[in-house]
Amino acid sequence: MTPHGATVHVPAPAVLMERRELTGDTSLIRIAPDPSATGWLSSYIPGQFIQLSVPGAGEIPVSLADMPRQNGIIELCIRRVGHVTDRLKALVPGNRLGVRGPFGVGFPVQRMKGSPVLLLAGGLGIAPLRSLLYYLVRNREEYGEITLLYGAKEIRSMLFRDELAELALRRKLRLYLTVDFAPQGPTGDVECAVGLLPDLLKGFRFEANRTYAAVCGPPAVYRCLASELEEAGVAPERILLSLERRMCCGIGRCCHCAVGQLLCCTDGPVFPLSVLRQIPEAL
Amino acid sequence: MTFAISQTNLRLLVDQLIQDGIFVVGPRRSGSMVLYEPLSKGEALTLDALPRRSAKELFFPVCEDILTYERVEGKMAVRDVDRAHYPETVLVGAPPCDAASPAILDSVFSWDYLDDFYLERRKKTTIIGMGCTRGDDACFCSAVGLAPDSVAGSDLFLTPLPGDEYACQVITEKGRSLTADYPGLFHEQSPVDPLPAPKQEMKQLNLERIKNWLDTHFDDPLWEKFADICAGCGACAFVCPACHCFDINDEGSSEKGTRRKHWDACGFGKFTNHASGHNPRDVQNKRYRNRIMHKFKYYNDKFGKTLCTGCGRCVRACPVGIDIAGILAEIDAK
Repeated sequence: MTPHGATVHVPAPAVLMERRELTGDTSLIRIAPDPSATGWLSSYIPGQFIQLSVPGAGEIPVSLADMPRQNGIIELCIRRVGHVTDRLKALVPGNRLGVRGPFGVGFPVQRMKGSPVLLLAGGLGIAPLRSLLYYLVRNREEYGEITLLYGAKEIRSMLFRDELAELALRRKLRLYLTVDFAPQGPTGDVECAVGLLPDLLKGFRFEANRTYAAVCGPPAVYRCLASELEEAGVAPERILLSLERRMCCGIGRCCHCAVGQLLCCTDGPVFPLSVLRQIPEAL
Repeated sequence: MTFAISQTNLRLLVDQLIQDGIFVVGPRRSGSMVLYEPLSKGEALTLDALPRRSAKELFFPVCEDILTYERVEGKMAVRDVDRAHYPETVLVGAPPCDAASPAILDSVFSWDYLDDFYLERRKKTTIIGMGCTRGDDACFCSAVGLAPDSVAGSDLFLTPLPGDEYACQVITEKGRSLTADYPGLFHEQSPVDPLPAPKQEMKQLNLERIKNWLDTHFDDPLWEKFADICAGCGACAFVCPACHCFDINDEGSSEKGTRRKHWDACGFGKFTNHASGHNPRDVQNKRYRNRIMHKFKYYNDKFGKTLCTGCGRCVRACPVGIDIAGILAEIDAK
């Protein structure tokens, strides 16, 4: 269901509070939405997305990188890839933005209760999964073992490495990192394998029949991981993929994000593999 | 006895509606073509040609502002568009292929939340449909379940009669109230056989059989055959009475501007292109397949309706001669 009635196309005002550069092209920003919007944003379920407006540039769909704070502040992980994110890059704290949403169907966190959760993130796919990860960590006792397999191109493009390592140290999750390429020499303080994410998954032992897998990454990666997970014995209903499509209106009208007869913006972006296997163009 | 209106009185009706403050839209000559445009007098009504674009734009404009924003005293003021002030409207002279489409589009504009840009205009518009007597070889309304005399979607339906009369059928309450408001313009007369409807070459398609084929042939060599020549120009979508894809863009600066919704086409190469470069429909025949799937399978799966009225505009507009009716007939024959 869409969140707030007939004015759903009108973004609520928001202010850019803070920006932290993560890599050369990716930053974590904090945004304070107008109090009028914090009510509906507080209903956010990990995996849903919002539409972020950058005045003069347009709107982009983006998942929250963490659950909204009590005070309404939201965190977004943004990579500079197009004209909206270009403009966003030039903004400084205090600048005005707009937000609408949340939209779509996120991870079924209620249904996942009591089960082990395996998170698989490829590249920037860590950003939406980070909100799920923190949700699970904060409700740690309600879930089984939490494991994150995170693959990045190279060490310097690996996001949130320190905070993930800290969570692992505090035994909040089992963490496995891998990079596609590594220069000669050590990969840093954190233990990190060299190889592709599906290869890391291949040798990985886990309770396949009880586990929920949450997958987010580039299409080539999630396509591959979906098959690996199935082969490992995870039921397709428990393999949850966050699809990459071009969401535009967010409310099931404009058809840019169509996946067969379904729409990423209203039926997804998180879909069980059992559903996607029925739709030829989904994967 | 039959209810009727003369051609002269139809134009008078337009004049009187305008005088009474009603916004009247109908086919009129505009430059070198006929388009659905606001009429300033009944005389301008042009009923001898199918308008180049469909009547869809009366409810879902080619381009419209959906909000404005402006920085005022350091804060960003966002203003919604006032939809309560859309005028009471009469659409006059829409052939069945155009009169039928708003009722089809109602589903997508009201299935989850109510899109009042569209629905407010729908609510305030009365459609005077008109029987079609001028079909050409691109027409195929009869093949998709309509007909040159189909009243679907009309509030009032006029059937051309020999001489200068139209038989007038009241279809809905809106239509009844329109005739009640202007009783002097309508009269009763003995039933007369209407002018013959144009004969369409194409036989009726079995839409269920077509859907069944689409259900199981997402991957099929026919898609390449059908659409490898598609130029991706999007003309088919822009002239279509039922296509409803749109894009949203901002025009203006960081200080002040407008957010606009405008028609888009799934045939455009960048329609599904993601910022990352990932494009799920990376080649043209996949885009054309989506067009057919959306119209004859997906929309049916979701709303139980076919997203095509057989107006034939896409056939006429296609620069490379892709014939959707021919494609459907080929699928139907499988």
